[in-house]
Amino acid sequence: MAEAIIDQAATPVADEHHEGHYTSLGLSNMKLAMWLFLGSEVLLFGALISTYLLSKTRFLTELVAGNPEVVAGISNDENAELVNEMITKGSVEPLFDIPFTSLSSFILLMSSLTMVLAHKSVTEGNYKNLRIWLSTTMLLGATFMAGQVYEFTTFYREGLTYDGSLLGTAFYTLTGFHGAHVTGGLIMLGSLIYLSFKGRMQKDRAETVELVGLYWHFVDIVWVLIFTIVYLIH
Amino acid sequence: MAIVEQEPLALPAGEPSRSARPLGVFSRPRNTTGLKNWLTSVDHKKIGIMYGVASLFFLLWGGVPALLIRLQLARPNQGLLSGDAYNQIFTMHGTVMVFLVVMPMGAAFANYLLPLQIGARDVAFPRINAFSFWVFLAGGIMLNTSWFLGGGPDGGWFNYAPNNGIAYSPGIGIDFWNVALMIAGFGSLTGAVNLITTVLNMRAPGMTWMRLPVFTWMTLVTQFLLLFAIPVLTVAQLLLLFDRRFDGNFFNVAQGADPLLWQHLFWIFGHPEVYLMILPAFGIVSEVIPAFARKPIFGYPFMVFSGIAIGFMGWGVWAHHMFVSGIGPLSVTAFAVATMFIAVPTGVKVLNWMATLWGGKLILNTAMLFSIGLVTQFTLGGLSGVSHAIAPADTQQTDTYYIVAHFHYVLFGGALFGFYSGLYFWWPKAFGYKLNEKIGKWNFWTMVLGFNLTFGPMHILGLQGMPRRMQTYDTSQGFNTWNMWATIGSFILAFATLSILYNALVSYLGWRRAGRPNPGPDPWDARSLEWSIQSPTPEHNFDVTPTVTSLDDWWYHKYQEDENGVLRRVASSKELAQPGNGEGVHLPAPSYWPIIVAFSLPIIGYGLIFSLWLCIPGVFLLLAAMYGWSLEPADDLDQDHHSEPEPELAQTHG
Amino acid sequence: MSTESMAVGDHSTTHDDDHEHHPTAKTYWLTFLALVILTALEVAWSYLGLSGVALVLPLLIMMVIKFAIVAGVFMHLYTDLNILNGHWFTVAFGIAIGLAVSVYVVVFAAFQFNI
Ligand SMILES: [Cu+2]
Repeated sequence: MAEAIIDQAATPVADEHHEGHYTSLGLSNMKLAMWLFLGSEVLLFGALISTYLLSKTRFLTELVAGNPEVVAGISNDENAELVNEMITKGSVEPLFDIPFTSLSSFILLMSSLTMVLAHKSVTEGNYKNLRIWLSTTMLLGATFMAGQVYEFTTFYREGLTYDGSLLGTAFYTLTGFHGAHVTGGLIMLGSLIYLSFKGRMQKDRAETVELVGLYWHFVDIVWVLIFTIVYLIH
Repeated sequence: MAIVEQEPLALPAGEPSRSARPLGVFSRPRNTTGLKNWLTSVDHKKIGIMYGVASLFFLLWGGVPALLIRLQLARPNQGLLSGDAYNQIFTMHGTVMVFLVVMPMGAAFANYLLPLQIGARDVAFPRINAFSFWVFLAGGIMLNTSWFLGGGPDGGWFNYAPNNGIAYSPGIGIDFWNVALMIAGFGSLTGAVNLITTVLNMRAPGMTWMRLPVFTWMTLVTQFLLLFAIPVLTVAQLLLLFDRRFDGNFFNVAQGADPLLWQHLFWIFGHPEVYLMILPAFGIVSEVIPAFARKPIFGYPFMVFSGIAIGFMGWGVWAHHMFVSGIGPLSVTAFAVATMFIAVPTGVKVLNWMATLWGGKLILNTAMLFSIGLVTQFTLGGLSGVSHAIAPADTQQTDTYYIVAHFHYVLFGGALFGFYSGLYFWWPKAFGYKLNEKIGKWNFWTMVLGFNLTFGPMHILGLQGMPRRMQTYDTSQGFNTWNMWATIGSFILAFATLSILYNALVSYLGWRRAGRPNPGPDPWDARSLEWSIQSPTPEHNFDVTPTVTSLDDWWYHKYQEDENGVLRRVASSKELAQPGNGEGVHLPAPSYWPIIVAFSLPIIGYGLIFSLWLCIPGVFLLLAAMYGWSLEPADDLDQDHHSEPEPELAQTHG
Repeated sequence: MSTESMAVGDHSTTHDDDHEHHPTAKTYWLTFLALVILTALEVAWSYLGLSGVALVLPLLIMMVIKFAIVAGVFMHLYTDLNILNGHWFTVAFGIAIGLAVSVYVVVFAAFQFNI
């Protein structure tokens, strides 16, 4: 009975390949909880993306209509050309650097691949590969974040400030929130690498790697949405 | 991000062994007593009781502003409260009652009862459970500190934009509303993940879906509503936070924003919110009525599916709060029709309760009276609710006392009557003594009287055109008489609400004087699994995990059909109940981390309001506590409950 | 205790052990390739100078495919669905997420077209 309560209360089903412990659904508590949490995150990002879309539409409508406060909010000393282009095109596309962001997206997609390979390594008991893939994932994630910092500074110089315009507020909030999630994932990845070096991240804990992976892939999926909805459908 | 119960990461992989030193694990609470025991407890029953105590406290705390409102409105042209004070007081009354009373009271029953009703030892993640409670309490306390740190929020509990912006509410009250509720919401979210996992994964063998007690079902639906609704509110609050603290423009009309976005986000959360406040009470009533009508619940599958239907349909009606906000005619029509439809599953429930009562051998004790009280009072509130679905009529009713009357009938007459019924019903299970029936009946009848006297006249006032949220009125408006009656009623109601505490005290003293007689495992001869164990519930819940073979399994252990098909008692509850012998049971160990993580969040919260520098120690504490948490094994290996001691293991790392 | 523990273990509804649930490394690499190709297609499409439905619809379709691929293969949703064996819970959860997202679409439509 002692084992039974520990198993039910705290310990996840170690791995699908091993004999599992009793759960009513057959999916471990941890994994079920992670999926529920991610389900809730869908609503969070859904609201943020909707807010962005609405704000962008309202911003462009007012900008094209020549609302002086909206025009002033996006203008600085040097960007008259850019603002004019946005007005004539009725689009925020002149602001974006699509090739650069495409590269960022590629990097984040790649990090999903390395993450899943890390999980594969740990299920096979290949701890050296686990550390290699985890470190690669972390490196790619950090590169993505560096790209975001670079992008934010560029946009800021181009005249898109946080408090100046509705577009700026909505854009930085949405992408910044995603960035915060990536940062959270980086902390988790760093912890996994540390634990692996200490020999605490072995085959029977593959699920811990998988859970971090679920979170990481979810963050990647959100970027898939943001990339298309924010950057490509300008 | 994800605070999840882990395998002991601090230990080497493989079977927990003490050959290597654990990583970064501090000594953990052991054999604690008194306050420290409660602060570090991960026991779902203690957490449930703490939820209950906190929400009863906030009920009284939130009742004070209610009485102030009624005093101010007792007579025309009174100046007891200034307009500004009045705004803060009705805002805090609504916010406290919704977020710090009704929601946690539902959580109290859910925590205490869910594991017992499904035959589990505890919830899926006991430490997260403790965290959920402490973070709710931290948020609740933080919200109320606004009174001392610059004034309460003044935007109403719905806090509409752009009225909630810095231009119209320059104080910091709304920031407190914003940040503190975000923190408390985080507790609801983790609680939802935890309780859903528990119900989905930890049911006793044979406890299939259609054998779950109705209370468990309704709570499951409630937790799903929380899981999906809380993030929507969180986003709305984040937008407002960025607008107010970092000069964002989300609701800034000058920059082209549409403040109606707030209403959409708030009510997408807000309508599921009203159902997640009432469904736990529906669940309670569905347990109490069959127990005292001496009949199984009528139409169990209809009860379950109507609850699920409410859960789904609750997401498609939010704009009925916005009929006068200028949304288009198609939206108004669609949401009006959807709102009429959502009355159907609720009606099904009311009919099922009445059919359960019909022909039963009714035992009209206090718990039963409160349940019948819910059925009648809630139905009145439901009927006025349907009248809002008729959009042209709603246009007249919006922002009048008619609305105030309606939601008090569903939330006080519905939710709170249900909770009181549950308190009287499960009190002996939790504390080992029954509440006094005589005081209980006084409690009930004064509550019915006070309640209807307070909120009944508000229907008339509303239809006469008295607006909500107005600080005063003039004699010429003709609102005098009914307002005076409502004020008198509110004091009777306050007296009735308090009398449960008086009852608890008197009953406890009487029980102690009588030599603490045990009420037995099953004092009401009831139906679900929590009555198959001793009262008060042993720390380990079940000696042996029960195996379930039917709906109301416990009842059918006590009663079986004889050859004529008549139910006859075959054994007494005392003979059948588990003796409460917890030998060899290993329980999840207490932990300091949940409360530390929880109280690191308000530090960040105060930082967001007063100075961002304060966020740094807050975030540092949060991260450190989360590491401490995930490195700490969920079960204490040094504290072995195994009946055979393993001395070498215990000594390796003492 | 250990006997009781065994008894609980007997109720285990876990999956057959021999079956390899998770895809091979090759599948992962191919999946990644598909994602990269789809992303390239998306970017190319956005440069064609189209507007309105012709721009948006194909982009959204490709986005949804990418979404499904990541969730299905990388997040093991396809194999985990096998574990749950088309359990009603999975279906209900999926429907709930779908409906919840559609709520936002309704809000957006209400603003955009003022219906
Ligand atoms: Cu509503």
